[in-house]
Amino acid sequence: MKKIIISTIAVSALLFTVTSCNTDFDTDVKDIPVTKGDADFSKYISLGNSLTSGYRDNALYSSGQNESYPSMIATQMKLAGGGEFKQPLMPNDVGGFIGLPGFSGKLTLQVVGGALSPVPSAPAAALDILPNGGSYQNMGVPGAKSYHLVAPGYGSQAGLSTGTANPYFVRFASSATTSVLADAMAQKATFFSLWIGNNDVLSYATNGGTNSQTVGGVTTYTPATVQTGNTNVANYKSNDISDPAVVAGSIKAVLDGLKSVGTTKGVIANIPYVTSVPYFTTVPYNPLTPAALGANLATLNTNLYGPLKQALTAFGAGDRINLLSTTAPNPVLIKDVALQDLSVQLTAALTPSLGLPTATVFGQIFGQARQATSEDYILLSTSSVINSTAPGAPAPVNIYGISYPLQNQHVLTKTEAAYVKTATDAYNASIKSLADSYGLAFVDANKKMVELNSQSGIVFDGVRYTAKFVTGGAFSLDGVHLTGRGYGIVANEFIKSINAKYRSTLPLVEANKYSGVKFP
Amino acid sequence: MKKILVSTALLAGVLSYAGGFRVSLQGVKQLAMAHTSAHAEDASVTFFNPAGMSFIPSKLSIVAGGFGASNKVTFQNLNTLQSTETDNPLGTPIYAAITYKPLENLSVGFSFSTPFGSTIQWPENWEGKEMVQKMELKSYYFQPMVSVKLAPWLSFGASYIYARGKVDWDKAVTQFDGQVNINDEKATGHGYGFGFYFRPDPKLDVSVAYRSPVDMKAKNGTATFKFPSQSVYSQLKLNAAGQDAFSATLPLVEEYTIGLTYKVTPKWQVSADFNYHGWERYSRLTLDFANAPIGNQADPTILVNPKNFKNSKTFRLGTQYAFSNMIYGRLGAYYDESPYTNENFIPETPSFDTYVITGGVGFKLKQFGIDIAGGYAMPQYRNVNNANLGFYGQAKARAFYFGLGLSYNPF
Repeated sequence: MKKIIISTIAVSALLFTVTSCNTDFDTDVKDIPVTKGDADFSKYISLGNSLTSGYRDNALYSSGQNESYPSMIATQMKLAGGGEFKQPLMPNDVGGFIGLPGFSGKLTLQVVGGALSPVPSAPAAALDILPNGGSYQNMGVPGAKSYHLVAPGYGSQAGLSTGTANPYFVRFASSATTSVLADAMAQKATFFSLWIGNNDVLSYATNGGTNSQTVGGVTTYTPATVQTGNTNVANYKSNDISDPAVVAGSIKAVLDGLKSVGTTKGVIANIPYVTSVPYFTTVPYNPLTPAALGANLATLNTNLYGPLKQALTAFGAGDRINLLSTTAPNPVLIKDVALQDLSVQLTAALTPSLGLPTATVFGQIFGQARQATSEDYILLSTSSVINSTAPGAPAPVNIYGISYPLQNQHVLTKTEAAYVKTATDAYNASIKSLADSYGLAFVDANKKMVELNSQSGIVFDGVRYTAKFVTGGAFSLDGVHLTGRGYGIVANEFIKSINAKYRSTLPLVEANKYSGVKFP
Repeated sequence: MKKILVSTALLAGVLSYAGGFRVSLQGVKQLAMAHTSAHAEDASVTFFNPAGMSFIPSKLSIVAGGFGASNKVTFQNLNTLQSTETDNPLGTPIYAAITYKPLENLSVGFSFSTPFGSTIQWPENWEGKEMVQKMELKSYYFQPMVSVKLAPWLSFGASYIYARGKVDWDKAVTQFDGQVNINDEKATGHGYGFGFYFRPDPKLDVSVAYRSPVDMKAKNGTATFKFPSQSVYSQLKLNAAGQDAFSATLPLVEEYTIGLTYKVTPKWQVSADFNYHGWERYSRLTLDFANAPIGNQADPTILVNPKNFKNSKTFRLGTQYAFSNMIYGRLGAYYDESPYTNENFIPETPSFDTYVITGGVGFKLKQFGIDIAGGYAMPQYRNVNNANLGFYGQAKARAFYFGLGLSYNPF
């Protein structure tokens, strides 16, 4: 008791001696100056692709551009002497270009058949040519690959029909012959950001490792090429994976060009693994539940899966197909062009039971078929294909994913995904090394995206962001590009890197205040 | 789900002006002396220790009083350079108690108090809106009690606690650009208290008391969502009004108190207290929704928020001087520990290690007494590093209290 009394008295006495010393902040945020450190933010330009432009929901539209990460960074830079940051704003809030195939307006979330689903809108206006070409500070061009930044004529309206130009750059290019880099150099900026290289692997991945050609309304798909040792980009097809030497060389050319006009300070970001975005992670490899298959399950096993497995087993490929489970979710059937084509063997094996004509069709359909595994990525766009009827295929083997394999363009297979990862790693090694040798701030965007794709996601002021499609909050309806909030998180990564490198004190942005997915 | 919310709300209210969950505002006389407990002058001792009833000089004692508690919390984010202040309304805890000695050695009593009751009000659009915009807590303790004098110098007392509470919590749902209100007006809980009161020497009073935990159970709570678009309702399995039911339990924690008062001279007494609060029970807040799949567990209707509170202590020292047998002056000071670390700081129940100085005067007019008291709190500013919430910055607070109490000891 005594001890307590004494200690109590002691504590109370202590209280009187130390009070008031810690009740107020040492430094009030109102008194903290925003400083530019070693950098000069008076003229900031940003180079890059769709991510830099503020693209989202599968379109570039004005409100999205207003929430681009470079615009957010520029706003913070203004607190430390930053100047005006003009963006080539689209003339409307829908996006797309009337008269240009492949450029529809933004996706909006709508209730379709009782479920929420992203629906594309019609493009809102024809291609507009902005006045004062060459004077825009956000030079992000949706769709641009690394080598496009240094390609003359990438902003030529005439080049649109031949595929050598990009309408987004056409809008704000200073001339038909200029390049993104040339227009950037002309601005003699004091600071730049560069985030490029994503599309050098992304279009390969989003197209399931295929190139396509449409002739007379019929689209055919051929496997895209993983370019290595070929730096002649004129020979590249649009969805080929760029040679890492091309990506490194293009980025180096941009850095050299900027350096030659005195733009030596800036920030550069690496490339996220495309397979960490919802476009690849939303549709499961095994969506075929016994409940969904119903009575068909037994029929499929008896008439299709069973005979196929039996025949394939005889050729040492029995692991391609297993009987459908009556208790667990089943994988979809896919075509994997990396597999040995057993169509001739299958035809021969099935001819006694099915007859030659049918066996031939089966052989062709299932010669490179297998069930998907957790290492394959079913594309977001494929969700509407599964369980639909494959055109030209004979019933009953004509249901995509169930009795007819999803085709090469529907799936990024394990093999293809490995090519993507290998290329990304090579690009990122170059980007890091260039950042170091040019003394630039470096953003590990890949690490951040992996974090976002983790179970715990990224939490900001109590809001948890994940890479989950629609409800994760960070990704827009196209499953590849970010929401305003997602771009806010990216902007903060850039700002942190800039501050660390140049000893500036730009404040972070409040990511939560930007817009997310809009619900109908 | 409901349980958690209610608990959180309760905690929030309390913590906004005390480090432990119990608001140290139960007797005006006691507050003036740092809210020390070993004072068996009138029925206001009941809240502190039922055994104290046996040493109240009068056979019947009635007390009532009320307080004003004003506080303001400021959060500043060193990363975004934003600063936010709460706009909390004045808290108004009240109490009343009556004791009666039907027999020489037996006392019965009843205490009504509002040990939790305040509102934290952040700006609706502040950066932490996803955690809390407004949280209002009200609670009422109804405590019948009995005390037996075991010896001329010793008594034992025990009480039953019936607790009722209300929680009303608004927070943003950023992902859907909406808001949710979590409400239960009828949370209830049960507990008990007991204690010993010693007077081994006419100069010395010693109070030893224990108050049990009370699990405030919200069984019929309502979570009301407001979204700009109703399509989200069906996604979250809400009814047409955007509502879902929830249940939650808020653990109001146990408290151990040792207090003593020593009469240095007939006119001058000194009191000291030590409280120990069992906050470790509050390791998480679990909200169990009826249908809404917004949780973070294998069962998606269950949302678990880690809280990681730790046990805390309070040290108190107070004194009273009788200028005459009508006029009394009182002073006190105490130190109240925050029950959580910087890594677990939560804006719905902001809490700080706090030094408080108190003072007051009392007047005694025959059977009537009137007391006033005031307290000035000096919460120590703290860094906020809650990685679980991605919530970083610094927080500080200011608070002061005042109270007016009446006592009537007719015989």
